[in-house]
Amino acid sequence: MSGGGDVGGLRQRGGGSGRLDSRGRGGPRPGPLEVARLLTCVVARELMDGEIVAFGLHAELLLAAALLAQKLHAPNLSIRHGLRVERGADLQPAAWTSERAGRSHERVEYLESHDAILDVASPASPMRFCDVFFVGGLQIDREGSTNLIGIKGKDGRMKVRGPGSIGTTSIGTLARHVILFSGEHTARRFVDRVDYVSVPGWRHRAAAGLAGGPSLCVTPLAVFEFADGWMRLRSVHPHAAEDDVRRRTGFALPAGPVPVTAPPTPAEKTALEVIDPFDRLAAVDLAPDGGEP
Amino acid sequence: MSRAQRVCGLQEAAALARDGMVVGLSGFSYQNPPMAMVRALIRRRLKDLTIVSGPTSGIETDLLIGAGCVKRVVTAGVAFERVLTIAPAFRLAAERGEIEVWECDECIWHLALKAAAWGMPHVLWPGGAGSSLPELNPDLREVREDGRPYIRVPPVRPDIVFLHAAEADVYGNVRAAREAYLGRTFSEKSLALASRGPVIATVERIVEHEEVAASPERTLVRGALVVEAPGGAHPGGVSGRYVPDLEHYREYAGAGEARRRGDPVPYQRYLERYVYGAEEPEDYRRAIGGDRLEHLRMAPP
Repeated sequence: MSGGGDVGGLRQRGGGSGRLDSRGRGGPRPGPLEVARLLTCVVARELMDGEIVAFGLHAELLLAAALLAQKLHAPNLSIRHGLRVERGADLQPAAWTSERAGRSHERVEYLESHDAILDVASPASPMRFCDVFFVGGLQIDREGSTNLIGIKGKDGRMKVRGPGSIGTTSIGTLARHVILFSGEHTARRFVDRVDYVSVPGWRHRAAAGLAGGPSLCVTPLAVFEFADGWMRLRSVHPHAAEDDVRRRTGFALPAGPVPVTAPPTPAEKTALEVIDPFDRLAAVDLAPDGGEP
Repeated sequence: MSRAQRVCGLQEAAALARDGMVVGLSGFSYQNPPMAMVRALIRRRLKDLTIVSGPTSGIETDLLIGAGCVKRVVTAGVAFERVLTIAPAFRLAAERGEIEVWECDECIWHLALKAAAWGMPHVLWPGGAGSSLPELNPDLREVREDGRPYIRVPPVRPDIVFLHAAEADVYGNVRAAREAYLGRTFSEKSLALASRGPVIATVERIVEHEEVAASPERTLVRGALVVEAPGGAHPGGVSGRYVPDLEHYREYAGAGEARRRGDPVPYQRYLERYVYGAEEPEDYRRAIGGDRLEHLRMAPP
């Protein structure tokens, strides 16, 4: 299963310079690690005890968030990480890297074959696929639809071929709780309407006869929620400026005061030191300043 | 009478694939792609293949596209994870209209193989309604039953399937490494069950039949034709044996991106160096640097 994580980054690797807009709310400009840690806390706070959370193999930040939730308030959270169900105290070397030290096998308690992605199962089954599913996209629109298929040119034909919808479409329509996650915050990513729909948002779902839609969208600069099926700002991160966030969003957002995202609490900070002792979160695919507009 | 062995050579197995065939390739992202076989298929200059790979595939699909062997892909994605979001040859060929893409996601990909394995004219699937998949893929249809939306998925039947695994015995019992931790099995069984032709497994090592029979729970596929091809997933990794060579992926991605931007030379050089000019396993090992695989090998647990 591959699904969550920031699967949509068209920008070059390392595109996030770590330098932040001078219109930020003050304080020293946070680097990639601090922004990644804040986002980890934001995501962790959404994960509830007893839930099953699922995401793809490359989503270190989401894994860290799940581990953080397990440590702080959700000891019975199950983590479905790619094809494995695992528990763990800290962020291990990425499965694909040749770092061998510290890789442990004991943490994996269940291995799926890949076609088990079809076993969505009853929402009441203890073996259900997941409760919470993370989805990314090349484009994300104001009703929460995502697109990994491609981007249209002016002539209405596909100009940029995307990677494909990977594991997002079906689980993204069937999961009880879909959270969108984006490693960048640009008007290129956040568009009024996606060119193609990999995972349907509120209106596309309604048109197909499905209730609900994604509940949240987490970016390096802000958190969106949905009201009547449209995105609005739930909070802006402490290092970001609201007007910059609005400028970097390719559709109008409701006006009104927007709270600041709660920074990591002392308990979260302490737990993060345990979960990520080697600052692996500094290297996740994330543009701390939102990315090149 | 003694039991027939099911072992053959790489070239011999590659010769079973023909122009225009529907070719199943197992592997998942960086994991277990049958690359030695893919390179052998390219050297045979095959044309017009339909590649059923993945469900989320990588360099095995991209290289075949880049070498001009492919007319259609049935896959949920072609990407190199964090090395490159969109595989370069796939992107270029799709943008130019040189290949068709059977638009799907991982569930629908698996379901199309299940429909073939089960002998069903189609299966209904509750996921994916409201997406663009039915509009982009003429084989998929959004239908309603009892007021609920479903996607109608037809069977996809490979003519031949290639996979790469850790071990097999000479009778075609293919198995994963005990140490596999990323996922013991990927899409080997799904593809094999859907195949209307041979299943060929390249493996790191042929092991004694007695060893296989001692741990039958590790056997993933039976009845395969077995080819011993150590290092045969490189630059991909083999779960429990060696990790992917991300440096090599970056080299390939660089060559592919250069070609996409108009400079075909690095990609051509890649093909000459690692495919056309590396017919023998020793040639390939030399091309990647003699002890490269040793550096990628996973320590025993």
